[in-house]
Amino acid sequence: MREKTLHIVELKGRPIVSGLSRGKALVSKSPLSFLGGVDPETGKVIEKNHDLNGKILANTILCFPHGHGSTVGSYVLYSLVKRGVGPKAIVNETADPVVVVGAVIAGIPMVDKIDVSRIRTGDLVEVDGDKGRVKILERG
Amino acid sequence: MYLNKEEERIYEGERGWAYQIAMKILVKLGDLYEADKLILIDSAHISGVSYKTIGDTAIEFLEALVKAGAKSKVRSTANPAGIDYNHLEEMVTLPKLHERQARIIELYESMGINPILTCTPYYLRRPREGTHLAWAESSTVIYANSILHSWTNREGGPSALAASLIGKTPNYGVHKSENRRADVLVKVETDLKNEAEFGALGIHVGRILKNEIPSFEGLLHPEENQLKHLGAAMASTGMSSLFYPCTSCPKSSDTLETLSVDTNDLKRAFESLSTTDEAPDMIYIGCPHCSFEEVKQVAQKIRNKKVKDGVKLWVCTSRYVRRKTESYVKIIEAAGGKVISDTCAVVTWLKELGVDVLMTNSAKTAYYAPTMNRVKTIFTSLDECIEAACQE
Repeated sequence: MREKTLHIVELKGRPIVSGLSRGKALVSKSPLSFLGGVDPETGKVIEKNHDLNGKILANTILCFPHGHGSTVGSYVLYSLVKRGVGPKAIVNETADPVVVVGAVIAGIPMVDKIDVSRIRTGDLVEVDGDKGRVKILERG
Repeated sequence: MYLNKEEERIYEGERGWAYQIAMKILVKLGDLYEADKLILIDSAHISGVSYKTIGDTAIEFLEALVKAGAKSKVRSTANPAGIDYNHLEEMVTLPKLHERQARIIELYESMGINPILTCTPYYLRRPREGTHLAWAESSTVIYANSILHSWTNREGGPSALAASLIGKTPNYGVHKSENRRADVLVKVETDLKNEAEFGALGIHVGRILKNEIPSFEGLLHPEENQLKHLGAAMASTGMSSLFYPCTSCPKSSDTLETLSVDTNDLKRAFESLSTTDEAPDMIYIGCPHCSFEEVKQVAQKIRNKKVKDGVKLWVCTSRYVRRKTESYVKIIEAAGGKVISDTCAVVTWLKELGVDVLMTNSAKTAYYAPTMNRVKTIFTSLDECIEAACQE
């Protein structure tokens, strides 16, 4: 008898920052600037006209195409995670230096070269930052 | 990316968290840009000093680094802050801002970073040609590559700080000579009269080129100060980190794509930098921070004149140049102007100082101030700035 696979989909990307994390996905189609785009106190997205506007980043697996904007954004990501209102992992299509440095100093796993449109907000996903894999365990 | 034994040990945490995190930043960026190894740097220049731009979040990270014993490995300088503590009468008076800004400066200083806060560290010490640097601040980077002929990528605040702590940077981008070749020939078919027109040219070219490397043709005997304005402006609208002013380039550029800039292009770029024709509340000279010659020029133009009541004239420069130009500073201050250091109009709380209309000869400032400072701008030459600042 064949063993049942535990995950629905496994997406293969590139490992950026190591670590293993599991949580509910929050998916965006738009690039995100942490400086000015996210309230550092609450982890709420405040960038106007952003598809995540009003959403809370706390404990999510944050999936978006790539970052943009000031390099100070790296410090914002650090601070969000340190205050417990940040994401548990980052999944990008293209890693950019602001988000990479942010994930390094915040110590959260990060994977890129993933088509984030394959993931839906609310899916239970697992990010393996060492292998560069994103598993969708349960559809939301 | 290849790491030697010592680098690997730092990466594994043997020298503590601060150096481990700095090494991780360099390694991850190196991997991202496919660097082959780390290379030694002569110096680092760090951005992210003004409390107005970095806020509390960066302070938390800097606190953690200092607590973990972080110290700079190489000569390191830092960008302007939000406050000049020697001219408090000119500064915004909110105690919380003063206290937080002072903390940021203290944290950088305790890591061994020079507390002369300026975007023109090359006036304090000019790095030797061909040395590798890890400099942040786009105007400083483009000046280093194009005018000083020392080599640096366009670092951000965190990566420059990491490089400062390790004394190395990943070998990619313009650290490799094959990535320093010009991609585009810019034919300047108009005579540039002053620093403001050099700035307008930079704004125009930066908008078109993004991150390509331009080689200019037709800049007749440009001064370093004028090229400083050209580079600062080009790095504001584009991602450039290098250009060739080519006063002595061989005419071998036939194979390059060409961009021609005529009088109308320049005029349009120039005019796009003014958003109002109202009277200015502040006249601002010194973005990037003034050189010795620029402070001298202001003094010569303002001698025996008087700044109008209700108008502020700010001339911003490094503390170092201010000391070297003391006699000129006296002339400017006798006329009612202020020679400010450690900060600039863009990274201080301009709106809170009551400024609504800012006049400047800096294309970079005119480009950023409407969004970063929420003020209206008038962009013009130094001559016209001094004229507008003074009484008849």
